[in-house]
Amino acid sequence: MERQERLIYLDNAATVFPKPARVLNKMMETYQSFGVSPGRGGYDLAVEASDLVMDVREHLCGFFGSDDSERVIFAANASDALNLIIQGMIEPGCHVVSSQLEHNSVLRQLHHFQKAGIISYDLVGFDGQGCINPDDIARTIKPTTKMVIINHASNVIGTIQDAQSIGNVCREYGVPLILDVAQSAGLVPIDMHQWGVSALAFTGHKSLLGPHGIGGAVIAKDIDIRITRFGGTGVDSESLEHTPTYPHRLETGTLNFLGVVGLGEGLACVEEAGIDAVRNKEVALAQRLEKGLSEIPAVQIHGPSTWKNRLAILMISIPNMVPEDVGAILDGDYGIAVRTGLHCAPLAHEGLKTFPRGGVRFSIGPSNTSEDIDAAVSAMNEIGRNK
Amino acid sequence: MNAPEGKTIKAPYTRNIGGVNILFNGEGFFINPSQWTDDVFEVLAHEAGVAEISDEQRMAVHFIRKFYDEQGKAPLNHHLKVGTNMSIAQLEVLFPGGIKYGLRRLGGLPDPKGCRKAVGWNVKRD
Repeated sequence: MERQERLIYLDNAATVFPKPARVLNKMMETYQSFGVSPGRGGYDLAVEASDLVMDVREHLCGFFGSDDSERVIFAANASDALNLIIQGMIEPGCHVVSSQLEHNSVLRQLHHFQKAGIISYDLVGFDGQGCINPDDIARTIKPTTKMVIINHASNVIGTIQDAQSIGNVCREYGVPLILDVAQSAGLVPIDMHQWGVSALAFTGHKSLLGPHGIGGAVIAKDIDIRITRFGGTGVDSESLEHTPTYPHRLETGTLNFLGVVGLGEGLACVEEAGIDAVRNKEVALAQRLEKGLSEIPAVQIHGPSTWKNRLAILMISIPNMVPEDVGAILDGDYGIAVRTGLHCAPLAHEGLKTFPRGGVRFSIGPSNTSEDIDAAVSAMNEIGRNK
Repeated sequence: MNAPEGKTIKAPYTRNIGGVNILFNGEGFFINPSQWTDDVFEVLAHEAGVAEISDEQRMAVHFIRKFYDEQGKAPLNHHLKVGTNMSIAQLEVLFPGGIKYGLRRLGGLPDPKGCRKAVGWNVKRD
């Protein structure tokens, strides 16, 4: 059956699409040339593959303002990295501080370990602009608090938190700050050292422009993450103890070499385009979208009223329509792809009063144009006309 | 805000319609789509506010049923358009509850799985 001739993709907060051709080409070329197991064999190809992986670690280390590239850990995605970090840090009886804006990648872990009687946790809320007050974090920290975990930029409303101020609070109380940069990496300059971030979790397939299936953690020298996964690392093979040194400490089995290659090339694309330039362009389009949608009486816009410290994400609803149906009409009748529902962040929607139905999220990416935005506004105008 | 205490799952329930015990999930979707019949559709549609099922409503429901029976999955949006010769917007107003809670639910398709409410957080408040 025929599909729409042209897709207007406005679901870039889920994954940036399409990826730059040079990322895909680099992956193909590299994998065909030396797609062997990095960090294992001593033959030249394996050493070249290892060197390439190390180059990407070093690149990421500098990109995130950290100081030890061996503490750049590859994982499947940000959720996977957050599992490594949280489960490698919690101890029986400890307390965790996090926020209502978190993704289920954090919430479900905290809920699970609280239910199992291992930890307790508290969540700080957010204000009308989607901002977390660092003082609320200070008030929530207890003597048993093991870590503060904060979503740097919301995948629901795009708010970018003041990581520097939150980091200052964590420094003052001597509690490690863990930052989830799944949405912000590639759109916001991140400086772990300056902000006092002890560990961050990133994904490669969003604004770092890499493929699916690659992400990771960057761990500062002020903390250690306990080993929670065991297996082959390519070193210390004579020992039945898992390798205690980074990065092998937290990586097991053969790396996603193809993903690492794509991530490295994506990172190069991001740096060439310029983080600020990309975000400014995307936010300008989001403002255009907001202006257009705000003139449609049936459309209700949720979240911050400002675009300062915010990614190009806009969450809306039509009060008497199911969000999934709005998304289906946009897709089926107009060829516009958006994300509907709760966006894996149910408590953020609670705070926005959009729970349980959620909303319709438009998220702008590097390939979007003003024509895309005008088409989306026109479509929403028609959808909202009789509502 | 204190930590959520846990999730409360809307429990599935059984209803007897026309002498048959039919299992629904918490949102009223068929758990076993093979239990759907035209007679059950009539009952559910009337309960949803449809006084008399129109030819278009019946055609749309029969299309999604046939598609599901043949393909083992719900039709995508472009299948719906071509198969019903209607726009998605027209389908949305065809039933009370729109596409998801109208057409799809009354047509006896399973609850679509997506990033939306399947369960509710039981949030403990300050």
